[in-house]
Amino acid sequence: MSKLGAVVEAVEKHGRFVLEQVKRARSDEKFAQAVTERWNKVKAEIPIAKAPTGLPLPRLALPEIDEPGEIARYLFGDGLPGEFPYLNGAYREMYLEPLREIESFEKKGEAVVARVSRAKKPVRATRPPLQEEPTRLFSGLMLAEDTNKRFHFLSAHQRSKRLSTAFDGPTLYGIDSDADGVFGKIGEGGVAVDTVEDMVRLYDGFELGAPNFSASMTISGPAPIIMAMYIAAAKRRFGAKVVPNLRGTIQADIFKEVQAQNETIFPTEASLRFLCDMIEWTTANMPRWYPVSISGYHIGEAGSTPVQQAAYTLSNGFAYAEMLSARGVPIDQFAPRLSFFLDCGLDVEYIALSRVSRKIWAIGMRDVFGANARGQMFKLHTQTSGRSLIAAEFKNNLTRTAAELMLAYMNGTNSCHSNSADEPFTTPSEEWIRLAAHGQAILLEESGIFKHTMNMLSGSPGMKAVERAVEKAILGEFREIESLGGVLAAVENRYQRSQIQNAAHRYEQQIYDGTRPIVGLNRYRNGADEMPEIELARTPRAKQKLQVERLEKFKKKNAEKSKHALDKLSAVVERGENCFPALLEAVEVCSLGQITGRLQEIVGRFRPMV
Amino acid sequence: MASPIRILTAVPICDGHDSAINTINLEFIRHGIEVVYLGFHRYVGDIVRAAIQEDVAAIGISSYNGGHIDFFADVVNQLKKKGASDITVFGGGGGTITHDDARQMKRKGVDEIFFAGTSLAEMAEYVKKHYGKRKKRRVNSEPDLVLARKLTELEEAAAKRAKLRTSNIQHRRSKVIGFTGPGGAGKTTLIDELVLRFLQRDSKTRIAILSHDPSVIGEGALLGDRATMINSQDDRVFMRSMATRGQAGGLSPATESCLALLARAGFDYVIIETVGTGQEALPFRNKLVDQTVLVMNPDYGARLQLQKIVMLDVADIVVVNKTDLERAKAALSEIEQRLTQNKRKQEIVATVAKRHRDPGVDEMFELITKEPVVAVYDRRKRGNRPS
Repeated sequence: MSKLGAVVEAVEKHGRFVLEQVKRARSDEKFAQAVTERWNKVKAEIPIAKAPTGLPLPRLALPEIDEPGEIARYLFGDGLPGEFPYLNGAYREMYLEPLREIESFEKKGEAVVARVSRAKKPVRATRPPLQEEPTRLFSGLMLAEDTNKRFHFLSAHQRSKRLSTAFDGPTLYGIDSDADGVFGKIGEGGVAVDTVEDMVRLYDGFELGAPNFSASMTISGPAPIIMAMYIAAAKRRFGAKVVPNLRGTIQADIFKEVQAQNETIFPTEASLRFLCDMIEWTTANMPRWYPVSISGYHIGEAGSTPVQQAAYTLSNGFAYAEMLSARGVPIDQFAPRLSFFLDCGLDVEYIALSRVSRKIWAIGMRDVFGANARGQMFKLHTQTSGRSLIAAEFKNNLTRTAAELMLAYMNGTNSCHSNSADEPFTTPSEEWIRLAAHGQAILLEESGIFKHTMNMLSGSPGMKAVERAVEKAILGEFREIESLGGVLAAVENRYQRSQIQNAAHRYEQQIYDGTRPIVGLNRYRNGADEMPEIELARTPRAKQKLQVERLEKFKKKNAEKSKHALDKLSAVVERGENCFPALLEAVEVCSLGQITGRLQEIVGRFRPMV
Repeated sequence: MASPIRILTAVPICDGHDSAINTINLEFIRHGIEVVYLGFHRYVGDIVRAAIQEDVAAIGISSYNGGHIDFFADVVNQLKKKGASDITVFGGGGGTITHDDARQMKRKGVDEIFFAGTSLAEMAEYVKKHYGKRKKRRVNSEPDLVLARKLTELEEAAAKRAKLRTSNIQHRRSKVIGFTGPGGAGKTTLIDELVLRFLQRDSKTRIAILSHDPSVIGEGALLGDRATMINSQDDRVFMRSMATRGQAGGLSPATESCLALLARAGFDYVIIETVGTGQEALPFRNKLVDQTVLVMNPDYGARLQLQKIVMLDVADIVVVNKTDLERAKAALSEIEQRLTQNKRKQEIVATVAKRHRDPGVDEMFELITKEPVVAVYDRRKRGNRPS
């Protein structure tokens, strides 16, 4: 039995609660008055911003309602941005440009009078994260120093340095660059990282531990080891005192690996155990780090429907919460440190998918798990869909990605990656990744759509219709998983995997029978089969050789010490203790492959499900 | 009726992109092709070994994570080294394999690359057109190659209902163990765990595995056991996946002749696995195998259902797998009771096959490797059973 059933009940209960509040506001005078007063107070405090053309607009847009029942429905059902259930956003203010003038309204007796005060400097929020732009571009190629160069290129003009790291195939699977048969894969699709020395090179020139720096690492199978390497690299450069200041995320989500991305390297149970060891340690020692990014992106990319993506992501998240609670980790220690990652494609569900996910998560966390407000907040990174990008007439991908960015911002994502148009062929070249970064800047900074007014597009009838349909469908999926015995049982029965594969198959069939028109592919084809002139990011042999040489040097230098470290790690794992401290020691002298190899001897290798 | 075309599909090492190949596999099967699917994250050596043992006409590789020029070339070269260049190599990778890449790959011996936008039907038609005729193989071939080709001949003979001279299964030299049981009970995992123990106990033991998947006569099949049997991808294991090709009962028309061949081919053990069977199944007729293992789920339903499972009367070893489930305790005692009705020597073992170094699987291993295997049924056995 799992708590997923309780989550379904809680969401339905919340729906009934909202209706009761509406009724109450229409029958109880005092309640009606309280609700109306709150509403008016909120409205009165909304500053006015001016568009560059001089048009005045409220910083927060609210529905034009004054009937107490409708006000109650909005306040309790949707919530203001930054308020439970966070449908309209996890934070009060997002994407808004800093204020240059403050204008507000004041009640003088019966009249409401405009009060203008000219602020001398732009008003800034005190917590840097609220002011950070959401852009976080995913990149990685060749060797650590090459990716480092790309990192500096991407973050050169950003207020905050927000990095996101892609690793190459061998690293993702916990295999060393000198392993048999992987030479041609070194540096392909991401950066090659074998040792802590690579990790030091990778983030060279960046202030790990500074309040305006954060690094995301997209790796899951060997995540605890890579996390340990990152911490070790930070310590080497800045000393042990930097550890509590480290900001960033590591993906680490095992459930979605088993369900979709296929990068699990230890048996599921062992993988979950290592993950929880890492979460337990980091939530206690690195309060600004997100030790897991519970992901739906890969589920969507593997071919699931948007509803499946959200349902499996959320249920996986609730399953992690159950596991960590069962381990005795206090809910208020880990819940605020869980983050999420969703896909954004062109299907209509994406108009509301993240909004609904935020709401369901908040209700589940509050009412089933007893989390505090910080634990109820669904903090989201969105990536535009890679699957939606087409090779034929690939420049159309710029438009696809721009549309997906619009949807992502409409859903109030806290962090965002935009794909490059050349990605059907290669990890992005500088030319195309620059355009991808500009896409975000154009929408957020150049256009007026998001920078003047919060809640710009929420509440429309169409959006509400999609919200309702998506919420209902997600709860239906929860019921299905619950009937199978919960997330773990469903995973072992291949439930999510087979659903995803079926959806992928249907998607392909719909392309071929025309149900899904795709411009340039099955509609408006221009007949050209020529591949465009694209700059391919391919790792030169010389670099691949260099990586192998560096690795051999490292292994030779640490031959004696690595044996001891691995034995120490083995003993801890066998005893069933939290293995993260031993990992921190091991990464100083062992390579990634040495550690995963030893761990696999003890806990076994992952057995793939077809 | 001609045998279906057999191909092998796989995703390269350090690559988990299986969405495309899953869909392609299904399309191939729809077109009557037997697809041995090796899964994702596969080494060149495993792909080549499997292709040889399964005697496929071609290998289809789906690669989306780069490094494809080297990888495909490695496959071609290793096939050549092993004397199996009659097996063609083809594949695709969406937009990640450019026209330039493909030209290079073809120069290195790859037959065909499908680019982004190719229809599924087009790929299936290509395979049917070009990989239908088996190419001749050189005479001085490696033993695995010879064995694999002989097995193919036996399968084709069975399809044509022709009689081929084969050994008599009664003259076998290997110990033959038959695994059967309902689908989802864990036969494949158990066998793979057994193989791991065989391979670890010495450096000489050689195993052959004959594994079956269902198919309708004249149609394709997905032969996917190899994808999950990670330990069995080893030079000391010869594995062959067979489609039942319309035969009921859990085995294929060629099983007996293939078994007879394998059992005199120098293996210490030959393991034969049926498809998932129903309650009435008795797949191993008398003397086909030395020892029968029935693998069961604890979730078989009410106690009464046990009366209907005919194999319980006959199996030498009854393995109750997934005994980490709630139902296991009750299931074990019900099955024990059921076995006492038989008044013959049968073993019952409780396993959790998915568990690394499971003591129940160790117990099963010891039961199988003792000679002769007839242990007295003993309640006080160690293992996973609650005392």
